[in-house]
Amino acid sequence: MPALIEARGLTKKYGKHTALDRADFTVQSGRIVGLIGPNGAGKTSALRAILGLTSYEGHLRVLDREPFSDRAALMNDACFIADVAVLPSWLRVDHAIDFVAGIHPRFRRDRALALLAKTQIAGKRRLGELSKGMKTQVHLALTMAIDARLFVLDEPTLGLDILARRAFYDALVNDYMDDTRTILLTTHQVEEVENLLTDVIFINRGRIVLDSSIDDIAAHYAAVAVAEDRLAAARAEKPFYERRTLGKTVLYFERPEFGKLAQFGEVLTPSVSDLFVARLSLRCAE
Amino acid sequence: MNTYSWLIRREFWENRAIWMVPAIIGIAQTLAALFGRVDIVALTTPEQSRAVGGMVLFAFGVTFFAVMNLYATWYLLDCLYADRKDRSILFWKSLPISDTATVLAKLATGLLVIPLVYFVAADISTVAMAFIISVRARSAFGSVLWQPDLWLQLQALWLYLIVTTAIWYLPFAGWLIAVSAWAKRAVMLWSILPPLALFLLERWFLGTHVVGTMIRDRLLGYIPRAFHDQSDRSAWVSTVVDHDTITTPGSVWQLLNPVGFLSSPATWIGVVVGVALVVVAIQLRLRRTET
Repeated sequence: MPALIEARGLTKKYGKHTALDRADFTVQSGRIVGLIGPNGAGKTSALRAILGLTSYEGHLRVLDREPFSDRAALMNDACFIADVAVLPSWLRVDHAIDFVAGIHPRFRRDRALALLAKTQIAGKRRLGELSKGMKTQVHLALTMAIDARLFVLDEPTLGLDILARRAFYDALVNDYMDDTRTILLTTHQVEEVENLLTDVIFINRGRIVLDSSIDDIAAHYAAVAVAEDRLAAARAEKPFYERRTLGKTVLYFERPEFGKLAQFGEVLTPSVSDLFVARLSLRCAE
Repeated sequence: MNTYSWLIRREFWENRAIWMVPAIIGIAQTLAALFGRVDIVALTTPEQSRAVGGMVLFAFGVTFFAVMNLYATWYLLDCLYADRKDRSILFWKSLPISDTATVLAKLATGLLVIPLVYFVAADISTVAMAFIISVRARSAFGSVLWQPDLWLQLQALWLYLIVTTAIWYLPFAGWLIAVSAWAKRAVMLWSILPPLALFLLERWFLGTHVVGTMIRDRLLGYIPRAFHDQSDRSAWVSTVVDHDTITTPGSVWQLLNPVGFLSSPATWIGVVVGVALVVVAIQLRLRRTET
């Protein structure tokens, strides 16, 4: 089965600044992929390229289309929330539904109305009158009512409080996700999404640092908390990163020999956020 | 086609002024007819009543036409910029609508839809005013305003104006919409500065006036091309009313000059320039999402 998104040597330059530097990655169908990186790493540039919002160099296919020249057609099968703050303030909620229903061949009005009915938002309200959390619910209702194969979210929860953030991700996973859909989202808040992702792509300074499924992380990475007296021996196994905590040192190994590591302490699978920190710190140290 | 009807409907939601301003003008004019002074001129001959009736009916629409031009200019300058300013462009671009359709829908709104809305508003308010004045002035003046062929001429004049100005001023509209797609801020300033700078630079360094002449001819060249000249006496008649001589077109039919307009090279040069600028606007809309 061909990849939903395939990028080879994807490059985006703004003048002298290179936002994306020969990035290679793929996204398979039916996955929830987190594109994770610090601010300014190139996440948004990558998404903009995938969504056809910007030109780029290199090879990029999304749903078997060239996104920049074919954006309108691509949007029949893909949808995105670039930022929840972008719904126009003058638009009425009921007009927004009418408009998307009129324009989009795969929009299901009944679904949008059902999603909105769960909220307390009246149809005649203008979006500008709504709180940020309510706007998010409207945007999510509009977007989740589209039978799209790819759903892209760029920092979807920026500026939302913890309750709204939690509700947002719950709705995404429980009401929306099924095996015909694929979600690609960016965030710099790794902790918030690590439990729902099936795949992660780490990006830093325009480069892809890691492109892996969560399952593969368990097979390829290990973290061992080593007591002070065993540290020298453990270091001989060539950890790629270490971190001191509470009298112990946690060593991170790539392609570990699990049998050997077990002698130093309990071998754990590093969490996505730990791996993220480890991976990015490594790059910085180079 | 369905996409375009939604895109135009969306312009009405966003720019409520499209219908509110003409509604306000219409209400104000109707109130003026209700409570203002009605001067009754003694009209005896059919020529007099035709001339005066035509002028009055025409005058009712003039405010609409003037405001419409100002509003449509502002609309074209703002329409694409507004989406980038509030970042809602990221929402519109998440829908399966091509940038070409978006730009063309906005262009059509500015050049055709807004004028048509004003036309309808002018018509409704003219009917209301004519009715009120006829009632208030009794038979003395009322019949002057109810001449079917004058009404027909008025409709024809409006529709002719809408179509021909849309064609003639396409380069201006294209320029405004391209600025709207491009400018990071201050669209008004950016619409004026580049032509002004070109004009001044040309004057200082070359001592010529090509740019200035081009802009002036485009601004002022519409009426001589789209209408028969007043010197063409057959199209105009003079009538003496109350010691004043008023000269009015014998009829709108004699005034309109569609053949001259469509056969003028300047018309088609303008269309080519206008289309080129619209293509530029589409390309800018494709590439530019930030302000």
